[in-house]
Amino acid sequence: MKSVVVASGKGGTGKTTITAAFAHLAARRLRVTVADADVEASNLSLALHVRDLSCVEFPGGSKGAIDEDVCTGCGLCVRVCRFGAITRGPSGVYRVDPFACEGCGRCAFECPVGAAVMTPTIAGEACEGESVTGPAAFGQLGPGEDLSGKLVTEVRRLAVDAAERHHSDVLFIDGPPGIGCPLIAAVASTDLLVAVAEPTVSGAHDLERLADLAARLRLPMRVVLNKADLSEDGAVRVRRLCESRGLALLAEVPFEPTLAVLLETLAEGTEGIPVERASGLSEVAKAWAAIERELGLGERAQELLVRS
Amino acid sequence: MIHADQAGGGAPFVLAIASGKGGTGKTLVATNAAALAAATGLRVVLADCDVEAPNDHLFLRCARESASPVSVPVAEVDPSACSACGRCRDACAYGAVRILGASAIVFDELCKGCGLCVEVCPEHAVLEAPRRVGEVVSGPVEGHPGLSLVTGRLDVGQVKSPSIIRSVRAAAAALAGDLVVLDAPPGVACSAVAAVRGSDLLLLVTEPTVFGLHDLELSLRLGRDLDLPMAVVLNREGTGEADIEGLCRSWGVPIVARIPFDRRIAQVYARGDLVADALPELAQVLTELLELLPGISRREVMSL
Repeated sequence: MKSVVVASGKGGTGKTTITAAFAHLAARRLRVTVADADVEASNLSLALHVRDLSCVEFPGGSKGAIDEDVCTGCGLCVRVCRFGAITRGPSGVYRVDPFACEGCGRCAFECPVGAAVMTPTIAGEACEGESVTGPAAFGQLGPGEDLSGKLVTEVRRLAVDAAERHHSDVLFIDGPPGIGCPLIAAVASTDLLVAVAEPTVSGAHDLERLADLAARLRLPMRVVLNKADLSEDGAVRVRRLCESRGLALLAEVPFEPTLAVLLETLAEGTEGIPVERASGLSEVAKAWAAIERELGLGERAQELLVRS
Repeated sequence: MIHADQAGGGAPFVLAIASGKGGTGKTLVATNAAALAAATGLRVVLADCDVEAPNDHLFLRCARESASPVSVPVAEVDPSACSACGRCRDACAYGAVRILGASAIVFDELCKGCGLCVEVCPEHAVLEAPRRVGEVVSGPVEGHPGLSLVTGRLDVGQVKSPSIIRSVRAAAAALAGDLVVLDAPPGVACSAVAAVRGSDLLLLVTEPTVFGLHDLELSLRLGRDLDLPMAVVLNREGTGEADIEGLCRSWGVPIVARIPFDRRIAQVYARGDLVADALPELAQVLTELLELLPGISRREVMSL
């Protein structure tokens, strides 16, 4: 099985839409599993109409809590906490701010009377289901939680398991925005990174930072320019960057008619959109054909065709 | 409009601009609103807290920049003093310490610098050393008197975004403006929290698509949990049918600005220019928004 991560650096460039389009295109010839690694704002399941959900709670770390009846008000916990998470209220009672607490346990370790205790938390949930293109996995982190990297790893694990059970040929992972912890977790042992760029100065700037990260992780990266017709200046900027960094620009997807609307029609199961002919989808199809070739999935599709 | 004396005690009004979904227009709103506010004579600090993909500096260029590194304390084991007893490993809540051979070793990227391993080590073999994770760059913005920009930038390959965001906010607070505009990272996890907590108003930028609607609800939940007054900017109006109005109504959160989808906005933005300079309509929408700010914030605070 091959895995492809769709990422962007900058948010809102169209990662989810491109991932969903790839999944639709690939599912016509191959067995496909999808995963949404954006656990802070998980949208792939909306695009691919995931149903038959089964979700499990994803445990978070512990967080500190102070038992007011036991606390003597010595203030040692405030002094040792490195995260500024403990404050003294107006009535002299100490309390832990759960949004600032990093769960290290130092207050519980140091408290001379045992008033500070660590209590386990739920960070979010990890879900599996069935999308219009095959098995799907995604997660949702609770507001303010700090384990997005770990939840991404769990979603990835669920997706890889599902892909193996279903003998999938390709796993598509819709990546999180940014180049930090969640993205690094999402691209672990992946075969190819597809960067979705938009034709703006910020799109080019963030694409360059993503290219730096890919180089550092020795991960092959290809580029799809989305909403290409929104700005010729911006498109030129992205093309030049790709050229100067030696990044293959696989396709330029126009903004209109919006790809998202076409995909919605596909997801609803309405037959009759000749995928390659619909403007926008034809460019994504061009990118997908290149990726399919590069990953040797074309031969796999032939095999499946012969067998059937 | 916000006045220095309104905030009380000279503390600036802190406006956080955020969204669950990426690419809804946070940077568009933040850069243009900050420039418009500065043009009215306010001292404004724009703080770019999207440290993984900081973009404000592409629209507002600094004349004289000063950069300072951001470091976090990371535990380090002196192998010659370590007896490999494993207490540090057992105490570490993050699984950042392992015993390899005759000594403990610390995995930098997992260590949060809490100092507990230093405390529990009977041999005093664990020390702490600063590790660079990024930088904060700040300076006055060229051509916009009264406007300063503070940018946080995560080093490529590093993971500790919240530490840099906290440094950005500290640097922005130190500049003593009348208004601090925080351009937050997308999402609802620890980075977004670090960027918006304690602000006077959480302004959520969204778009009328199913994705925008879904992610706006997540942001509203986060704002509620953080006890922040909230308002919504509906961007790219006309590009989708999702019922943002209905969601805002059910949450009792006002929509304070509407920006229609307009190719001209996309084109000016794509070049890295301020849209408010090129399109008076957008300048008007944002000016009206700025005038509403203290009112919304006070009303919501009182209703809590």
